[in-house]
Amino acid sequence: MSRVNEVGRRGFLASAAAVAGAGLVAADHGAASAAAQAHESASVSFHGRHQAGITTPAQRASAFVSFDVTAENRRELADLLRTITDRARFLTAGGSPDPLGITAPPSDSGTLGPDVPADGLTVTVGAGASLFDDRYGLASRTPRQLTTMPSFPDDDLDAAWCHGDLSVQFCAASPDAVLHALRDVARHTRGGMQVRWRMDGFVSPPRPSGTPRNHMGFKDGTANPDVRDAREMDRLVWVGEGSGEPDWATGGSYQVVRLIRMLVEFWDRVSITEQERMFGRARDTGAPLDGRHETDAPRYAQDPQGDVIPLDSHIRMANPRTPDTADQRILRRAYNYDRGMDSNGNLDMGLLFCCYQQDLARQFETVQKRLAGEPLVDYITPFGGGYFFALPGVRDDTDWLGRVLLA
Amino acid sequence: MPETALDTEAEPEPESGPVPPGPAALRRPMLLAGGALLAAGAVTVGVLTVGGSGGSGHSADAAGGPRHTTVEVGPSGCGRGWRHAEPGRQVFDLRNTSSTAAEVYLTDAKTGAVYGEVEGLAPGTVRAMRVTLGNGSYAFKCLPDDADAVTGPTVRVTGGGSVKSGPAAVPVTQQDLIPPTLAYQKWIQARTVELVQKTDALRDAVDRGDLAAARAAWLPAHLVYERMGAAYGTFGDADAVINGTTAGLQDGVRDKDFTGFHRVEYGLWHGESASSLRGPADRLARAVRALRDSWPDQRMDPADVGLRAHEILENTLQFELTGRTDYGSGTNLATARANLDGTRVLLGYLRPLLRTRATGLPGIDSWLDRTQRTLDSFQHDGHWTPLAELTRAQREKADSDLGELVERLADVAALTDVRRTA
Repeated sequence: MSRVNEVGRRGFLASAAAVAGAGLVAADHGAASAAAQAHESASVSFHGRHQAGITTPAQRASAFVSFDVTAENRRELADLLRTITDRARFLTAGGSPDPLGITAPPSDSGTLGPDVPADGLTVTVGAGASLFDDRYGLASRTPRQLTTMPSFPDDDLDAAWCHGDLSVQFCAASPDAVLHALRDVARHTRGGMQVRWRMDGFVSPPRPSGTPRNHMGFKDGTANPDVRDAREMDRLVWVGEGSGEPDWATGGSYQVVRLIRMLVEFWDRVSITEQERMFGRARDTGAPLDGRHETDAPRYAQDPQGDVIPLDSHIRMANPRTPDTADQRILRRAYNYDRGMDSNGNLDMGLLFCCYQQDLARQFETVQKRLAGEPLVDYITPFGGGYFFALPGVRDDTDWLGRVLLA
Repeated sequence: MPETALDTEAEPEPESGPVPPGPAALRRPMLLAGGALLAAGAVTVGVLTVGGSGGSGHSADAAGGPRHTTVEVGPSGCGRGWRHAEPGRQVFDLRNTSSTAAEVYLTDAKTGAVYGEVEGLAPGTVRAMRVTLGNGSYAFKCLPDDADAVTGPTVRVTGGGSVKSGPAAVPVTQQDLIPPTLAYQKWIQARTVELVQKTDALRDAVDRGDLAAARAAWLPAHLVYERMGAAYGTFGDADAVINGTTAGLQDGVRDKDFTGFHRVEYGLWHGESASSLRGPADRLARAVRALRDSWPDQRMDPADVGLRAHEILENTLQFELTGRTDYGSGTNLATARANLDGTRVLLGYLRPLLRTRATGLPGIDSWLDRTQRTLDSFQHDGHWTPLAELTRAQREKADSDLGELVERLADVAALTDVRRTA
């Protein structure tokens, strides 16, 4: 429909402005967050070489949903992916839902009002290793590094919260738009897939400025690669041609999701000095312990013994900032989660960690192995998540998610 | 009597049927229908042709929202105000200028198929009707409460190019639903007879103290009842007596009001003695006998029939595929299959109405078959796998198939909602 396209075109311009605005955050916190706020409810372009929702600045609300595919054959899998594409295209553009008259219940849940606002929604779809088993004849097309997420030494994985055939990351300015999109997609795909697990997340507002904080009170994601730097994204995030990956995977990205419970009551009983030495940053400002501002780069070379920033602190182990480790950096896109209480009356909250990278082994796994045994692990429990491959983008109105994969 | 879809049997039967629906359920006397048609003809005015040549062009939306047109609803002005017809997605703001509430349809002027409806538009109020219109001839139809329908002027939409009109269907009336309702009532009557026989066998086994035979007899009796889902509303309190759960009962499985199949099931699969089960089994047998004897005097509401086409399996999803109604026998999947059979029977009777209306019927049939295959794969040599023993993939498949099916059956319920046409 023409209306949807109009909205999409308007939205493309708006989203470009939003990206530019958010990019300013590093330089000028106050002004930039106001700019990002003003644009965050606009439409993010669905079409492109890559999927949206990866380098898109993190919207406030998210739901990360893992699905198992119940389609009975490859043709049905293609139908499923076409349907997801159609719904995502409509939902991310916003517009007026189809009136179905007396022939059906209303086509839309109505939770966003009679006309669906885009609300900055992105819908990002990934494929898990299990999708490439013998059911759909895709084994020979498995991304080179895509496996079932292994259990790392500090993990305590619960099978009910792990893996899945497809991942769908819904992100929007507001939780109602996220839930509306999930409900819409689920309704249109009941016969093709079933939710395996789901975790909702949120990004806190800057307190008082800069990168938002996690449940441990620390700013989380300060040292992310610059999403405005297309060459950096090509080096770190996107699978390119000639990388040894199957041709269909060009333009995609490896997605790692980790559900990490934070034992916040325990954490609150830890002294501030110890907390800061575990992270390597000051809690109040987010500055590295050898700096004054959040954005200051730590100078590890001048602190070889780790007297100021301990050698086993999180930031130092995760990103040693050496030439050798530059290509190991990941694009973090983490959310906080809160899911009530556990059976002992403790708060059940933590990090819905998500990151994107070009190469699982070179990036996430290398960093994760380096972090093994860091002091922070006593206060967290990674219990779920999975490895997925975020599919290449949908080029235009005739394209669909997974078209080249299933060609 | 086969348990599954009965296309041939579903055709309207020439005989008068055992129990005509009570006139109280009718919204207006049927005899007025002919008169209403005449009246409608009398007020229909000449075709009004207004092409898509208005200043704003053919776009459904230039300023951020769908185009709005205010239209009058009243005995002397049904549809007045629709002067500049344009194709595309649009909203009609319907204003009731009369002194009585009314229903409003936007119809295809040739076929009477309805593109949009607003029910119970109160006097003096305005409500929105959203539609998508392609090229064609349309007319508003106003149906004031307690008065004949009035059809407004025919309006021709042109210049729509490739714009396709939204889906439309000819309304289903109370009269349309009477034959399938009567046929279904008759089918239920035969089921009540079967139910009594199989429940008697269960009770007799308990009486004899043969609990193994009682466990074997429980499921066949219960499944007969589980196939009768569209009639539960008409059964009234008897349904809770025959097939109630502990929901709402203060003392749970020990509650004196916990009766029927699930009470007997609980005892049979929790080591209760035959003597303690005689009371519950006998009470169940008496309850189904009373149901059989009273059924010929019952009147099903024709409005129930279409609604139950999706509600039976909604209950299956809610209570069977979650295991909520399992009191020990582990037969939720057998029940789900019986519910599917019951839905097929109902659809069989509705089929003559759906064939000319619902384009989704082949899809429904195919998902019925698929769901049946999935459920049947959980049965081996007469033994049904308990829900908790399904693998994750098996359970997802069952939820997926049934979930898709209810999405599709919801359209049947929407379409067979009772509507006036005159």
